[in-house]
Amino acid sequence: MKTNDVILQTTTKVVFFIIFLFSIHIFFAGHYTPGGGFVGGLLTTGAIVLLLLAFDLKTIQQILPFNFTIVTGIGLLLALGTAAGSIFFNVPFFTHAFDDFTLPLFGETSLHTAMLFDSGVYLVVVGSAITIIQSIGGDD
Amino acid sequence: MAFQILLNFFIAVVWMFMTSSLTPSTFVIGYIIGLLLIIMTRRFFPGRLYIWRLWSALKLTAIFLRELVLSNISVLLLVIKPNLSSIQPMIFALPTELEQDWEITLLSSLITLTPGTIVIHVSDDQRTLYIHAIDVDDVDEAIDSIKNTFEKAIMEVSRG
Repeated sequence: MKTNDVILQTTTKVVFFIIFLFSIHIFFAGHYTPGGGFVGGLLTTGAIVLLLLAFDLKTIQQILPFNFTIVTGIGLLLALGTAAGSIFFNVPFFTHAFDDFTLPLFGETSLHTAMLFDSGVYLVVVGSAITIIQSIGGDD
Repeated sequence: MAFQILLNFFIAVVWMFMTSSLTPSTFVIGYIIGLLLIIMTRRFFPGRLYIWRLWSALKLTAIFLRELVLSNISVLLLVIKPNLSSIQPMIFALPTELEQDWEITLLSSLITLTPGTIVIHVSDDQRTLYIHAIDVDDVDEAIDSIKNTFEKAIMEVSRG
């Protein structure tokens, strides 16, 4: 029986953006405050799962036409590449570099290569979690 | 409505560039000037000025807060009642004239957030809400009270 879930869907359309914004915030907050790639990735997954609950698997696959296993692969490559980049500068594996840059718009910003590693973690978490959910949820 | 707000923001930004000081206070001054301009040229816009809709939204919030306090008190009185056999719970259908998805959602949320009533189902054609209430003496009275408070206020917000 198909029930009318207009309330769930309308609320989802609002709440999804808030969760997604919060996940981005948590992802960038990871260096000095609690947060980071793993939690940010899980929050993004949570936002997508909310969409999956309110709508259905096919709709979401049309909205996000990614193969999430490939997303996981890209994340692993990014993490490994960040770690391997230190080899070219004759420093031990996994040595991170950081410096202060003056960016337009942001002003004085401290950039760190751990950020790139974190985005790798983020992509791995999102990719693997969504893959798990889609494989369990899909009946093909 | 959305166009008017966008236009107002645009006028404020243009004002910031004209005075070549990109500060929040300049933005606020530009916004007020833009508001005056939009009020002056209100005949060019289809629909009402957006400040009226803002005002209706504020009124809706006030009505909701009032209902929240009143219904909390009535539920408290129900809880401390010595004789519980006299309460009359029931599920009734509320015919609604709202059409948009967000209006239905807002109305259901407001009904659910006020203690004593919960929306349990929206019919498939979205013309009827099914509501469970703790204590109803008179169904028509309950329907009327919801219709005259929340539904009227929401309609006022969404009116053109």
